[in-house]
Amino acid sequence: MAGEAVSKASQPLNPCPDPNLPPVVKKKRNLPGTPDPEAEVIALSPGTLLATNRFLCEICGKGFQRDQNLQLHRRGHNLPWKLKQRSGKEPRKRVYVCPEESCIHHNPARALGDLTGIKKHFCRKHGEKKWKCDKCSKRYAVQSDWKAHSKTCGTREYRCDCGVLFSRRDSFITHRAFCDALAEETARVSAAYTMTNTTSIGSVDSLLQDGAMTPNIWKHLSPNLKPNIMDREVGQQDRHGCSSWMGHGGQLDNAFDGTTAMSEINQAGLVDSQLSWIHFNKLSSLPTSNTLKPLTGSVPSLFTSLPHRPAPDISATALLQKAAQVGAISTTPFSGSFGLPECQNTSAGDGSVFDGLLIHEFAASNTDEVNYITRSRSMLRDCLGGETRDFLGVGVQTLCQPSANGWI
Amino acid sequence: MMLSTDNMHNPHPHYHQIFAGCLELELDDPNATERWAAELLRECATAISENDSGKLHHLLWMLNELASPYGDCEQKVASYFLQALFCKATELGEHCYKTSLAVAERCHSFESTRKVILKFQEASPWTTFGHVASNGAILEAFEGEAKLHIIDISNTYCTQWPTLLEALATRNDDTPHLRLTVVATVGMGGSVMDEIGMRMEKFARLMGVPFQFHVIRNLTRLDELKYEEFGLREGEAVAVNCVGALRRVSVEERDAFVGMLSRLRPRVVTVVEEEADFTSCKGEFVSCFEECLRFYTMYFEMLEESFAPTSNERLALERECSKSIVSVLACDGHDSGDCERREKGRQWCERLMESFSPSTFSDDVVDDLNALLRRYRAGWSLVPAEGDASGLYLTWKQEPAVWACAWKP
Repeated sequence: MAGEAVSKASQPLNPCPDPNLPPVVKKKRNLPGTPDPEAEVIALSPGTLLATNRFLCEICGKGFQRDQNLQLHRRGHNLPWKLKQRSGKEPRKRVYVCPEESCIHHNPARALGDLTGIKKHFCRKHGEKKWKCDKCSKRYAVQSDWKAHSKTCGTREYRCDCGVLFSRRDSFITHRAFCDALAEETARVSAAYTMTNTTSIGSVDSLLQDGAMTPNIWKHLSPNLKPNIMDREVGQQDRHGCSSWMGHGGQLDNAFDGTTAMSEINQAGLVDSQLSWIHFNKLSSLPTSNTLKPLTGSVPSLFTSLPHRPAPDISATALLQKAAQVGAISTTPFSGSFGLPECQNTSAGDGSVFDGLLIHEFAASNTDEVNYITRSRSMLRDCLGGETRDFLGVGVQTLCQPSANGWI
Repeated sequence: MMLSTDNMHNPHPHYHQIFAGCLELELDDPNATERWAAELLRECATAISENDSGKLHHLLWMLNELASPYGDCEQKVASYFLQALFCKATELGEHCYKTSLAVAERCHSFESTRKVILKFQEASPWTTFGHVASNGAILEAFEGEAKLHIIDISNTYCTQWPTLLEALATRNDDTPHLRLTVVATVGMGGSVMDEIGMRMEKFARLMGVPFQFHVIRNLTRLDELKYEEFGLREGEAVAVNCVGALRRVSVEERDAFVGMLSRLRPRVVTVVEEEADFTSCKGEFVSCFEECLRFYTMYFEMLEESFAPTSNERLALERECSKSIVSVLACDGHDSGDCERREKGRQWCERLMESFSPSTFSDDVVDDLNALLRRYRAGWSLVPAEGDASGLYLTWKQEPAVWACAWKP
């Protein structure tokens, strides 16, 4: 018998019943993703799903977002007891489908069991994003999502591997792209080995068999393997912190010309080692798809063996960056070829025109640049020891804080 | 009268009055100790245009006494303009410009460039305004496309692109493939662009964006650019990003350059230019000078208020101005290097209207821009263009500073 949409007493619903499913109700809880096959499937219209204040008081007409609030309100009308009870209907288990045809939840087998859930889903996925964060202009369809974001927006700080802290996301991203810490992969990768392995190393094998990987990358990653990068001594590295291999949300792409870390891991015999390859769950689809979706959501505690607690709310992009950092190494060794300036004295040239006249020289304020360069050169040699140079060139900092903290 | 040479960097505030009195010059406002540089420089410029060499020599000497690139704003403006006026008077403009160019090239390093640019972006929205506006327009124009090609003719040294790459990576489920072709003129230093390219490639990999980077180099002048050099491919959506670029094209070649861009059939052309007119006054020295003075005074003041007092990066940015000022005031046209004659938004609009139609920035982009400005110190605001002009202005203390506009075919 065709299921009929049941409306609660005081709601102006426009139900569009799905005629194909039985309406029989059982009161039991179901596992997520497996709706009760005997539950009543209700397909509400987009308008209904987006409506707020659906619960109307029949006495004064005031609208409420939640039934409980309406009930509380009705008490205030001092109704005689028996009228307080709603015209009884047997409660039936209901599940809700999404009206959007292309959506996965349109399928009754993937219906959601909770009215609020389907409303939020519809709003988030298919609704207009009306709520916008003042500080960063990020948009949300669901007000509570927006509120939650606003609380944390702007309070977050971003730390680059080189040690510099940023309060602004855009400056952080731009800095990161040009940061020398990006070029220096090796020191951080060594830390990757200290991480506990969680799941799915097995899936690595399926990737390796794909043959899409080139074998040359890993040696750049691991100081244990022939580093060959800057004449560093092997084996010296400190296994600091959890740094790069967050293993979460890595977006790997075949168009990387095959550079991923996976094959190398195997080659290095490191498959069983302590890497957290959580995201490898997703990688089983790599041979067929070109990109992976970054995982959203927070990172599980990966770094139990390490002294530092990882930050809870790490953005997807951050994880992306971290994760892919280890895997996506260019074959260009970091050779300190920064285009070091050959001339140390700058604009003495500017003054030359004025030899007879100008007393001031546009003197080079490059002495600090010179110092930075000389320091850098010697620092590069020491780099593997876990030292990293201060980005701004004023001193050496040991990489004693794990980069995981940097992803706060 | 005692002249203390110790006071080179901090001259007595009334020196200029004393000098002026000696030379029987009348300053507009004898009590205005604040804007002495403008007054003296103006006198100097007038003396040049009138060929009054006696007065000129005295003024140059005075300015030299008072000016300093390390002093306060007035002293700095005096210093850089003095250099240009001197070149003009002695017809050494071309020589001076070439020397500065050579020096800059020699000392241009990836690290120094990066440091200066990134610091500037942190301290002031002067450049980031253009980035956000352009990236917003580009992303919107590219919506739904799978193969993207951005042609970047700009002075941003690719600092504009990391945020765009990140947006591409996180926006959609399907990350498109991006080709970036950067046009580097001679003054930009070859090795710098190489290093930048490597960083970009690495970063794109990090972001998970399929990416290809290419530099068009060995161009002495932008107008030498030809359609064929871009290597356009079938099925790709093209965007042209001109940030601080159009002004580097010789004035006579600008219309043709715009025409060349339209042949690329881009989905969008983003143009960002500093709001000043050094073009229509070309040939009238004093008007040119006035406009130059107005613009660079604003720029120097903005720099002073945005940076810490002892910032080396600010110093570097100020020094870069000297090339432009010399070029505009003391050179007639270059054999080498770029033109520096800026035009105002309204003027660019006229040129661009020949081949394109203006496209307003969406509300989202405007919101992003407002959010951007909120992250900096007070004094900045957005003003939409009106009348003949389209686009948006970034204003500094109510004065239009930078203009941004997006164009569609």
